[in-house]
Amino acid sequence: MIEASEGRVVARGITRRFGEKLALAPLDLEVGPGGVTGLLGPNGSGKTTLMRILIGLTRPDAGEASVDGARLEGDGLEIRKRCSYSPGEIALYGELRGREHLEWLLRGRDREARERGLELARRFELPLERRVHAYSHGMKRQLLFAAALAPRLRVRILDEPSEGLDPTKRSVLLEMLREDAASGTTILLSSHHLGEVDRVCERFVFVHQGKLVAVESAASIAARANRLLRVSYAPSDGLAALLEALRVRLAPLARQVSVRESELLVELAGDDPRAVLQALAQHAGAPAPRALEFGRASLSELYRDLYGVEAC
Amino acid sequence: MARAFASILWRGVGFFIVLELMLVPALLYWPDFDKHVAKFRAMAPLPVMRNIIDTLETGGVFAYVTGQHFFKGCNTLGVAAAVLLSVGAVAGEAHRGTLEIWLARPVSRWRLLTERYVQGAGALCIPVFATTLTIPALLERVNETLPYGPLMWSAAHTCLLLMAFYSLGFFLSTISRAPLSIAFVLLFFSILQFAIYLVEKATHYSLFRLTDVERFLEIQKRGGLDPRLAAPLVLVSLALYGASLWTFARRTP
Repeated sequence: MIEASEGRVVARGITRRFGEKLALAPLDLEVGPGGVTGLLGPNGSGKTTLMRILIGLTRPDAGEASVDGARLEGDGLEIRKRCSYSPGEIALYGELRGREHLEWLLRGRDREARERGLELARRFELPLERRVHAYSHGMKRQLLFAAALAPRLRVRILDEPSEGLDPTKRSVLLEMLREDAASGTTILLSSHHLGEVDRVCERFVFVHQGKLVAVESAASIAARANRLLRVSYAPSDGLAALLEALRVRLAPLARQVSVRESELLVELAGDDPRAVLQALAQHAGAPAPRALEFGRASLSELYRDLYGVEAC
Repeated sequence: MARAFASILWRGVGFFIVLELMLVPALLYWPDFDKHVAKFRAMAPLPVMRNIIDTLETGGVFAYVTGQHFFKGCNTLGVAAAVLLSVGAVAGEAHRGTLEIWLARPVSRWRLLTERYVQGAGALCIPVFATTLTIPALLERVNETLPYGPLMWSAAHTCLLLMAFYSLGFFLSTISRAPLSIAFVLLFFSILQFAIYLVEKATHYSLFRLTDVERFLEIQKRGGLDPRLAAPLVLVSLALYGASLWTFARRTP
């Protein structure tokens, strides 16, 4: 039996299969209390399935979960009472006006939530008297986000809330997220915009092929970025053999060395790359590198390099 | 809830208007039918149709009214309405991609589905009863009278069959993403049932035997529903509603 405590999202051994496809292998997750956690992974990695399971929309084949102290049981109603959710799909009822739709989305919430939803929608400058079928993709997304942020709850699960937003509206959304997180809310956020994830998240959970491949804090990511050395060579005959020889030679000097196509990826044990660079320079027959990068890697590059997983 | 209610309300009002539009001329035609019934019998191309006319003749105005309103009007339009009101209940949401936001609110699935079931059932059955209530007043225009009791029992009996159709459509809606396909299957099934009804040797296998004029004359004679017919229809609807709840609880957006 898992421990169920306030403000936390806990999953143990969550498994889900759709026919032949294993959407989630046994997956364990702990988020919160408080803070914004980014749920990252390529399309089809299981992020949405995991979020839907946590909110009670999809039943897991095995495993157990709790959100803000409520265990995942039955149709997950207790969880949905304690946690708001912004879905990844944005099909809405076009015949409703924005205000009516917001109220529809907030059914089961208190009056304060409805008032707050309207306030948030106004911050997005949404035309609430217009019918939703006239809304753009981004406006629909903002309406869903306003509804998800409106109730005062301890946990929110947001599936790609900024997808389709222009940079200005994305900034407004990130600002709202920061304000919400500052009040102690636990937010599990899935996004394909790694730049924004990088800006708001304190923790990153990487999912690949239904498995959790890494959990990192922002600080550990930055530290890893500072230790990553990437050496690129021009493609040539015999390059593969040379890179393999270099990998073997550098292995004792680094935490991890890997080869990807014409690149050598070195994760240093410390911050100083000089010993590795010296070994590279001294290696007999090694050509001059075409490019050399150290200490600067985007989140996606970092994860591709470290885990061999395309982040998005 | 208000959104779904408004949509269902308009469909119910539409069903009422169409039923009434069929009922008014049919009832006003009663004196002519009564006068020329022999000619109608001679024109009937099938033995089953001649039997219907015989039953209408012997049953008098009550048989004619129930034949026109329940057997013809409610069985045809009612089945179509049952299909239209049921197939979109869940499959319609899945088809247009709104199933996820519908389910994501803090409302139990049991409640969501029950609300929708009850609203659709109301839109289906209330027009049947409402149009039935107008029958005595319409009959006064042709100098006939009928008491409300047997008519309302007949309306209730018709609604039981319509509810079985509705519940079947509702159940299929909970397991499908294609409301149009379900609608075609159910409409084909109902047309097949009508076709079977018209075949003399097969007519007893048609579901519409459960709501033909002979059944309504039995209801008039008994002064109430026949439990041997009503109970199975109620059980079918309840079983299909229960199955709908079970499948909907496991439905993935």
